[in-house]
Amino acid sequence: MRYLLVARSLLRSGWLTCILCMLYALIMAMLAPGFASIENFSNVLVAMLPLMIVATGQTAVLITAGIDLSVTSVIALTSVAGASLVSGDTSPLSGSALATPIAILAMLATGALVGMINGSCVAWLRMPAFVVTLTMMMFASGFAVWTTQSQSYSELPASLLFLGKNGWASGTVALLVAFSVHFMLHRTRLGTSLFAIGHNPETALVSGVRVQWAIVIAYVICGCCAAVASVLILGQLETGSPVQWENNLLDVVGATVIGGTSLYGGRGSVLWTFFGVLLLTLIDNSLNLMNLSHFSIMMIKGCVILLAAFLDTLRHREEDR
Amino acid sequence: MDFQTKLIAQEGTGMNLRNLILFLSAACVLPIVGCTGSKSGSAAKQGTVGIAFETLQTEYWVAGFDAIKEELEKRDFAVLEAIADGDPNRQLQQVKNFITRRVDGIVLVPKDANSCIPAIRAANEAGIPIVLFNRPAAAEADVQSVAVQADNYKISLETVGFMIEQARKTGTKHKAMIVMGDLGDINAIGRRDGFDAAVKGNEDVIDVVARVPSEWNQEKAQAGVVNALQANPDISFLFTSSDFLLPSIVSALKSSGKYEKIGQPGHVILGGFDGDATAYQMLKDGYLDATGVQDVYFEAQASVQALLDLMAGKEVEPLIHDPGFVIHQGNEAEMADRTWGAKLVNSQE
Repeated sequence: MRYLLVARSLLRSGWLTCILCMLYALIMAMLAPGFASIENFSNVLVAMLPLMIVATGQTAVLITAGIDLSVTSVIALTSVAGASLVSGDTSPLSGSALATPIAILAMLATGALVGMINGSCVAWLRMPAFVVTLTMMMFASGFAVWTTQSQSYSELPASLLFLGKNGWASGTVALLVAFSVHFMLHRTRLGTSLFAIGHNPETALVSGVRVQWAIVIAYVICGCCAAVASVLILGQLETGSPVQWENNLLDVVGATVIGGTSLYGGRGSVLWTFFGVLLLTLIDNSLNLMNLSHFSIMMIKGCVILLAAFLDTLRHREEDR
Repeated sequence: MDFQTKLIAQEGTGMNLRNLILFLSAACVLPIVGCTGSKSGSAAKQGTVGIAFETLQTEYWVAGFDAIKEELEKRDFAVLEAIADGDPNRQLQQVKNFITRRVDGIVLVPKDANSCIPAIRAANEAGIPIVLFNRPAAAEADVQSVAVQADNYKISLETVGFMIEQARKTGTKHKAMIVMGDLGDINAIGRRDGFDAAVKGNEDVIDVVARVPSEWNQEKAQAGVVNALQANPDISFLFTSSDFLLPSIVSALKSSGKYEKIGQPGHVILGGFDGDATAYQMLKDGYLDATGVQDVYFEAQASVQALLDLMAGKEVEPLIHDPGFVIHQGNEAEMADRTWGAKLVNSQE
C-alpha cells in the first residue's frame, strides 16, 4: 500500500520525469552504441539548449492555461530579421562595430512584438490562444518567406555566431534565461499572478490580479525566449533561414508537457521543463545512435508525448475531485 | 457505466493504478523494442558509413537513398541512416551522432548550400571524409567536401531544346510557362538558367509569359499554374523544374481542360526534370514530351567511389558532375533501362 502511495505521489510530481531521464539514460547506456560517452553527453547538452530556452517561454504561457503555437515561426522570423542586417558585405550594418548588438536587439524586439500581439489578442480581445497563435504562426512564417524570397543568409559576423557556436556561451545564456523565468515564476508577484490565472482567471481578477497585463507579459516572455533561442540556432547553423526550425513545434509543446507543466494551466516549473527537454533530447539522440529510422523516432516521440498528455489529464482530474 | 466513468472509478483503486503504471511502461518500451528488432549489426564489415538525408519526401530522394545503401552494402559496408525531416539543426546533430559512432565516412544531402557548413566542419574536425549527394556546399565556405551533382544546366538546356524542336514542328508560336523550384537551392537555379538559355535565340517560337515559383511545394505549384493559366489561357508549352510537381501541374491542366495527349488538339508541350516514375508513366501514356533524367545510379556509384577514395587518402575532384540525359518519345525504349523512374514503374507492373 505504501508503494502505491509513493507511486501515486510520484505520478503527481514533476520529479517523475527526472527519474525517467535517469532510468532511460541507464538503459540506453547499455543499448545504444556511443551513448555513454563524454562526447555524446556534451552533444546532447548543446543540442538541447535552444529547445530548453523556447520551452522555458512556453512554460510561462502554459501556466496561464494558454499556448503559443507561433514560437517556431518567431524563430524563423527573428533569424532572418537579425541575419539580414549583418549578412555579407552589402547588408545595412556590414562592417559596423555595432552590427552584432543591433542584430540581437532587432531579434529580441521582433520576438517581443510578436508576443505582445499574441498576448493582446488573448488578453484584451479574449480570443482563444490556440487560434491567435496558430494564425500568427502562419503570418510570421509567410512574412519571413515573402520578405526574403526564400533566400537564406550566410556570411554572418563571428561575434554574432559566437553565442551559438561556443558551448559554454550557449549554456550560460540558457541558464540565465531559465533562472530568470524560474525566479519570475516562483519569487515574484507576477509569477504568482500567472499561476492564479491558470487556476481560475475570474478568481484571480477578483483577488486583484491584473489579469490582462500578466497574460500579455507571459506571451512577451515567450516571444523573447524564442528570439534568444534563435540567436543560438543562428550560431549553430551559421545561417539565417525563413524556414528555420519550422518542424519543431511538437518538440517544444511536448517537452514542456512531458516535464509536467499542465496543458490546463496553473501548474508548471522551469526545472520540470528542463527534465522534459532532456528526456526528449535523450530519446532523439539514443534512438538515432541505435540507427532507428526518422519515422520510427517520430512514432516513439509521439507515443511519449501522448502519454505525457494522458498523465496530465489524469492529474487534472484528480485535482478537480 | 460508460468507458470514461469506468476509468474515473478505477482511478480510486490501488490495483488499477499498478495496472496503469505497467501499461504506461509497456507502452513506452514496446515501440522501441519493436523498432530495434529489424536492424543488423556491423560486425565483420569493411567499415561503417553514415547516410544523412535532408528529406525522403520525393521519389528521387528515396531512389537515391536506396541506391547509395545498395552500393555500400554491395561493397560490404555497414550503413547508419538518418533523415532530418527538412531541419538543418537536426541534421547537424545526426552528423555529430555519426561522429560519436566513429563512422568511416559520411554521405550527406543537405537542405541548402549554407546551413550544412557546420556539419561538414564537424566531420572535417573529426577527420571523417564527407561526400555531398546532389547538393554541393557554398563554394566560398572554408570546409572540405566532395559533391556529386547532376549537371542541372546542361540537362535542362537539352530537355527544353528538345521541347522547342517539337514546338517548331507545329509551325506556330507558343506561349510558355516555367515552374521553378526553391531559388535558394542551387539545383533550382541551374534548371531555371538552362531553361532560359534554351529559350534564348528561339523567341520566334517561344514567348515566356509565366514564371511560377513553387519553392518545391506542390500546393504552391498547383495554385501558381492555375493562376498562370487563368491569366494566359493560351499557354501551350510548360517546363517544370522537377517531376515531383507533375501531379499538381496535371491537376491544374485538367481543371483548365488542357490535358491532352501528344498529337491531339490542345496538347500542351510538357517537359520535366528528374525522370521519376510519374514522368515515365506519363511519357509511356503519351502525355509528356520529354524529361531530363538525373542518373541516380551513376550519382550513387560516384558518391560511394569518391568516399572510398577519400577514405584511402586519394585526391578527389571537389565537384563530380552527372551528365544525365533526356528521355523522350523517340528514345523511350532505348533509355528506359537507365531511367530510375522506369525501373520503379516496371517493378510495380
